[in-house]
Amino acid sequence: MSLTLGQVLALFGAALAVGLPGIGSARGVGIVGESAAGLVTEDPGKFGQALILQALPGTQGIYGFLAGFLTIQKIGLLAGTLVNITPYQGWLIFASCMPIAIVGFLSAIYQGRVAAAGIGIVSKRPEEVAKGITFAAMVETYAVLALLATILMLFGINV
Amino acid sequence: MAIVNMKKMHLLGLKREKATILRALQKTGVVEVINIVEEAAVEDIEQAGEVQKNYVNQELNRELQELETKLAELNFGIDFLKPYVKSTNPLIHGKPSIKKDELSEILSKESSILDNLQAVFDLDKQLSQLKTEETRLIGQIEMLSPWRALDIPLEELGETRKTVFEAAVMPRKSRAELDRIITEEGLLAEIATLGESQDDVYTLVVYHKEHKENMEKLFKEFSVNLQDFSNFEGTPKELIKAAEKRIEDIEVERGTIKEKSKELSDNLRYFQILYDYYTVEKDRKSAFLKVTDTDKAFSMQAWLPEEHEELVKSTVSKVTDTVYMEFSAPTDEDDMPVLLSNAKLVEPFEVITELYSLPDPRGLDPNLYMAPFFFVFFGMMLSDAGYGIIMSLLAGYALFRFKLAGSGKKFTAMLFLCGISTVIWGAIFGGWFGDLIRVKPMWINPLDNPLSVLILSFVMGVVQIYVGIILNAYKNIRAGKVADALMDQGLWLVLLTGLLMFVMPELATVGKYMAIFGAVGLILTQGRSQKGIIKKFTSGVLSLYDITGYLSDVLSYSRLLALGLTTGVIATVINTMAKTVAGSIIGYIVMVLIIVGGHVFNLAINVLGAYVHSSRLQYIEFFSKFYDSGGRAFDPLRVKTSYVDLEDI
Repeated sequence: MSLTLGQVLALFGAALAVGLPGIGSARGVGIVGESAAGLVTEDPGKFGQALILQALPGTQGIYGFLAGFLTIQKIGLLAGTLVNITPYQGWLIFASCMPIAIVGFLSAIYQGRVAAAGIGIVSKRPEEVAKGITFAAMVETYAVLALLATILMLFGINV
Repeated sequence: MAIVNMKKMHLLGLKREKATILRALQKTGVVEVINIVEEAAVEDIEQAGEVQKNYVNQELNRELQELETKLAELNFGIDFLKPYVKSTNPLIHGKPSIKKDELSEILSKESSILDNLQAVFDLDKQLSQLKTEETRLIGQIEMLSPWRALDIPLEELGETRKTVFEAAVMPRKSRAELDRIITEEGLLAEIATLGESQDDVYTLVVYHKEHKENMEKLFKEFSVNLQDFSNFEGTPKELIKAAEKRIEDIEVERGTIKEKSKELSDNLRYFQILYDYYTVEKDRKSAFLKVTDTDKAFSMQAWLPEEHEELVKSTVSKVTDTVYMEFSAPTDEDDMPVLLSNAKLVEPFEVITELYSLPDPRGLDPNLYMAPFFFVFFGMMLSDAGYGIIMSLLAGYALFRFKLAGSGKKFTAMLFLCGISTVIWGAIFGGWFGDLIRVKPMWINPLDNPLSVLILSFVMGVVQIYVGIILNAYKNIRAGKVADALMDQGLWLVLLTGLLMFVMPELATVGKYMAIFGAVGLILTQGRSQKGIIKKFTSGVLSLYDITGYLSDVLSYSRLLALGLTTGVIATVINTMAKTVAGSIIGYIVMVLIIVGGHVFNLAINVLGAYVHSSRLQYIEFFSKFYDSGGRAFDPLRVKTSYVDLEDI
């Protein structure tokens, strides 16, 4: 089986879409985890609330995975037979992977920082945790929009 | 109903009946005492009566502190005895209720119960002493064990008439060197190895007193440490054995203490009852601090829900005749607490608003309008019928089986309702555990036609934003500002509707004129509070900039599609992964594991996502249109207990 440049580009796009937001989420979740561990040393009872905050920057990794999955489904890798893709189409697919790859990567880290600050809310005023969650969710908006852009672009490409 | 109307109660009573009256009010649990002492204290700080009042307050504060101490002690006793009692889970069985005569019986033997509490403290003290001793012994064993081979009693080490015996630790390398130097220089000394560790050798060094100086110099040179055993008597072996024996004894003593604790464990119940009793008393005494006294009388103010006025009147008049009560509606300056009351189906969603902030007491209760949107959005974001069924079943079981109360109950009920919504949306989109069970979608599979679902998301957004604007108009009209409602909200509605129609080809012309009318109207009216014609005009034009705000609000609803897709696609991925391993028996087992584990993970992560993002749409997009927050929760003086229900006190 010989690969065309188009297929390589599409696959490369899928790899970045999964990889970059994954790295971002790992960092974001890591940042919150460090703060949360400090809080739990003081008060183990707040584990549940801290865990919710920690889970928030994890979604970008899932969005990226989702985009990557849709891409490899599009090029027929899952079915076992790769669709023939021209270099031009390959670039299109690569481009459509970029929104979630880039925005997912950066927004996960920023969201992690907001959520880590939210751990402070849990430590001093646990009843206000919903506000900390909302602050973090504000950041996620842009990852959601990027995912949406990626999906719409991907569905718009004919192969 | 929404926000419950409050009434302010003014009560004048006899000072000697203060406790009785407050006790009766506490039992009703519908009255929140207002703190009027502080204000008064500032006003007449110079007056002579202040000293007297301070004295009373000091007395009260002292009593409160005593109660706090007692509660802390009881709490300690409860924590100590808890492991020894197999108690029933109050979440499942509820709190046991205590009758009045049982309570008075317990109170009558309070001193013996408190003696038992003291016994618990003693046991705890013994335990910590044993712990300290044990740590010391373990350290001692660790220190002595390299010297096990030394068969001289430790107190006999040191100097005799002609010789010196020293226990010494030296690095392995130094040992051979020392030996060599000793033989070379002909020193009268002998080194015997007793034990070895990784780097060091444990030795007994014997030398003649004549060579003391030489030896000490050598010790320094080869970094030999002399061990000091001045506090020990007997050989290391004996000492270790004794220590080990003692540790065994300590374990036995611990067992005895455990037995004694078990004997005392009957007291747990009494401790808990007393704890609750004194908590209630503490709450009541704290209310005393908010009441002003004169020589013979006292005066208090309190908030209560309008509907309970009669109940409070009759309760108080039952305990005393010499009392004056007056109920009045709140004035504009009053800062009354907020109590919400909603229909059964809306009530669970109150928790969403409570987590944001309670409404202003004069504002609007948003729950009735927010609940349907939250219900719909949550289901659309989770959008898998299988997940919805699981969620509703779990939440329903929890509601049925556990005695939940307050926010926990509301939250669980909210999840139950949202599960139903999820089932409906799952059926519409054809998601049953992803594509595990293939059912034809009732409308459309969002993966096949994401644009239609995106448009549906935007339509929902537009509807919610319209409702928000209309509610704001309603608020203005209710306040008598009809003109404001027409100009601020009405014109925006005209402009936005016009723009929407403009997008649709068949309505474009009408839409154009509507939009222009709305925009011109806004330019002319939005600057009306400004002075000067130019300022009026510029503010009017600038107000049109808000249109970008509405646009971004609507676009924000695209998350309804995005999160719905996430659930569906990940569920499909899980199913695909599971199918690839099927084939052999082990393969099928792994397949089931992947399916169960994967879907549990997907459910958990997406329920969190759906909850967070549905809340966000309410908080940011909806509440920003009309909601005045900042209310303070109604916190009545009531019988609030942790362990038992005190029926009558």
